[in-house]
Amino acid sequence: MRPATLARLAVAGNRTDTLRTILTALSALLATVAMLAAATVLTITGWAERYTNPLLIEPGLRPGVSATLILVALPVLALAGQCIRLGAPARDRRLAAIRLAGATPRESVLIATAETAVASLLGSVAGLVAYLVARKVIDRPALPTDILPPAPVIVLLVLLVPVLAAAAGAVLMRQVIVTPLGVERRIRTRGPRPWPGLLIAAGIVLFAVPTRLPEHINLSKNWVYAFLGSGVMLTMVGIVLGTGWISSTAGRLLRRYGRGPATLLAGQRLITDPWNGSRTMAALLAAVIAGAVALAYRELLATEFRYYDIYNAMMGSTDGGGMGAAEAPEFYYGAIRLVVVAVSLASVVAAAGVLIALAESIVARRRTYAALTAAGVPRRTLSAAVAWQTLTPLIPALVLALAAGDALVRLIDSEIPVGYEFRDCVAAGYGGCEAPRHPEMAQILHVPIPWGSLALLGGGALLAVLVAVGAGLLVLRASTDLDELRAG
Amino acid sequence: MSERSALLSGIGIARSYGATPALRGVDLAVGAGEIVAVTGPSGCGKSTLLHCLAGILRTDSGTVTYRDQDIGLWSEAARSRLRRTEFGVLFQFGQLVPELTAVENVALPLLLAGSGRREARQVAAEWLDRLGVGELAEQRPGAMSGGQQQRCATARALVTQPRVLFADEPTGALDALTGEQVLGEIVRVVREQGTSVVLITHEASVAAYADREIVLRDGVLDPTGLGLGVGR
Amino acid sequence: MSTAHVLLGLLAGGPRHGYDLKRAHDERLPRAKPLAYGQVYATLSRLERDGFVAESGQDRDGGPDRTSYELTDEGRGHLAAWLAAVDPPAPYVNSEIFNKVTVALLAAGIEQARDYLVAQRAAHMGRMRELTMAKSAPGASLGDVIAADYAIGHLEADLRWLQTTLARVAAMTTELPKDVTT
Repeated sequence: MRPATLARLAVAGNRTDTLRTILTALSALLATVAMLAAATVLTITGWAERYTNPLLIEPGLRPGVSATLILVALPVLALAGQCIRLGAPARDRRLAAIRLAGATPRESVLIATAETAVASLLGSVAGLVAYLVARKVIDRPALPTDILPPAPVIVLLVLLVPVLAAAAGAVLMRQVIVTPLGVERRIRTRGPRPWPGLLIAAGIVLFAVPTRLPEHINLSKNWVYAFLGSGVMLTMVGIVLGTGWISSTAGRLLRRYGRGPATLLAGQRLITDPWNGSRTMAALLAAVIAGAVALAYRELLATEFRYYDIYNAMMGSTDGGGMGAAEAPEFYYGAIRLVVVAVSLASVVAAAGVLIALAESIVARRRTYAALTAAGVPRRTLSAAVAWQTLTPLIPALVLALAAGDALVRLIDSEIPVGYEFRDCVAAGYGGCEAPRHPEMAQILHVPIPWGSLALLGGGALLAVLVAVGAGLLVLRASTDLDELRAG
Repeated sequence: MSERSALLSGIGIARSYGATPALRGVDLAVGAGEIVAVTGPSGCGKSTLLHCLAGILRTDSGTVTYRDQDIGLWSEAARSRLRRTEFGVLFQFGQLVPELTAVENVALPLLLAGSGRREARQVAAEWLDRLGVGELAEQRPGAMSGGQQQRCATARALVTQPRVLFADEPTGALDALTGEQVLGEIVRVVREQGTSVVLITHEASVAAYADREIVLRDGVLDPTGLGLGVGR
Repeated sequence: MSTAHVLLGLLAGGPRHGYDLKRAHDERLPRAKPLAYGQVYATLSRLERDGFVAESGQDRDGGPDRTSYELTDEGRGHLAAWLAAVDPPAPYVNSEIFNKVTVALLAAGIEQARDYLVAQRAAHMGRMRELTMAKSAPGASLGDVIAADYAIGHLEADLRWLQTTLARVAAMTTELPKDVTT
């Protein structure tokens, strides 16, 4: 098979395949831009007074900026992964037909993998172009448009998404045996197990390592970020995969306690294909976790500012002096607001992904739906079943995502004692302790759980999915036309 | 047909799907240029036999020999290559890639075998002409009638000039007249090419196009053709 | 009566003499049993007696008897009536094969009928192959194809009926307790 043939077969596709290509490319583009930006920020050295933004000036803050950018890239990457399954039934038929014409198993996997890799390569190259154009166009001292990451890093980042996508595609194809007579998915006889819970636990442990280390072990900054980053990653993966177990458990419960045909249909569907939820919700759940982390961190910062205020009041310095952060609190809140905006954007992208995946899963099963309609099942019941099967696993998964995101940050600090150290010092009679003016103000500050904003985040995600379900039901309406029974 | 002159032969072919046996030891030999019809009631194992002979399915036991080679010992990839060089496959429907045009579909086996795009398209166009659908070269299968699709599929099955054509109910989805026209065309071309054909059908009138007929029943040969004395 | 109607139909195109009619008959109905001359003249005289055809002239240059005939108005009406009349679909089941198989099954049982059935099936398939070959031969006329189609359709129906009957008999005998069948 010549490369030209491979390319032709890789880009052969119907409208769904085109949509998949565009979405894969788009998410590759976004992820590449985010990572290039993160790399650019990391390329800045020393105190960079030439910028106007303190986030970029201070070397201590820049890794945080990069981490945030990467945090935003994660849901987008999840979306790219989610796109691979889009249009699977039509692609399976195509691959089987190509196999029948004499393609070897390796060639068919190659074609399927090339489809994904080509799309994401297009996207990441477009991302590179967008990045280069943007830094020429923007060219303001507010942003680091004066430097570029080293060339090898740029190449690496441009190739990273296609390689990841191709690898994910190849791994997914391992579950699939393309025979000339059709595609068989290796059937898992056992339902999903709750082992992704272990991943979540491992993620939390990794995240906790830098914060709970004994004083005398000093980790370098890079190690700290590696621990924190991989902790968040593992938690995200664990929750996304755990949705499989949640789905099948929810399905079993629906079947046992549900009354009426809608819950029966939804329950059976959840048990039969528990991973559907993981596939459709991956990007959204990742975004929600990122958002929860940001919100919880905001609460932690707020508590620290209160700490400074109380401390200063206790020590009697009311003139604005005393201890405090390098910048006014508003600066940090502004930074976090930026993160939240970024996470919201990622959530919108993810919600679009949910809509597409949902519509796709309905279209893929349109014959079943049309047959059910023909057999007299009212559309209302089918709509209710689709809503049940989407929302039943989603709500526990969302709660878990919010809880995990908050828990991660609470590991850094969940309570901050203020003033006791001086009281203890004075009481012990050591010298050199400054006596607090108002020792009675000593207290333990608890980092509150941001119930309101977490609920807002969860509610927003739920709303996005509800909109997606509503739009999906319109697709269902079209799909239950009895004409679909005749469509070959 | 004696064993020695057979181009393709199966000896004791058995194949099960899980606990359900589809074939329970079938012998069959196809000579060069011979058209053999395999008939029998639904579920008798005819399609499974074809898939085993064409190397699409592996047999559980028994051997499939093509030109004195036991293709059961070959790798999946080697058997795939056989399908794009020496064998052609024609099904009732669904073998065309819906996203490719007629000429691309017909060119596919040539392209997979490493031909250049231009020459593959040219050969494919000639075959489409030969089967009377030359003007549909740039159409996708979805825009064609059933008969036109089967003509394209025939062109694709024969474009590599295979020595054996495996046809599984090639006209089963067509109405009687269209089916007969397509079948007549297939038979005419394979006779010209000297291609052997294994023709699966449940209709006696289709089997009548073959030189010879074997009847399967419950996964074994039925020499009487009527189910007499089978299973006793 | 059918041969008479075919002759009337052939005369609808214009006057013909007896030899001409026989040739046209054999050509248009290629798979039918060929007409004998005697039968043509006997039928023509009967048609003349009934007033459906009339003599229209004599050929001089030909052989002994070259009388040509033409359709009368009455004959035209008779032909139209025949063409318009719906044939009663299969009023009686009557065929050599049907009779033989039924008698074989009822009187002799499958075991005894076996050789006959297998041979008959092989003969049917052989004939179908012949007819298929004939109709797909290059230069086959429309008459050839139509006639072959008709014959193939009937042979196929025979085979299908044979098959179904055997399956039905087999199902009945397995349903019955052993001591009843033996």
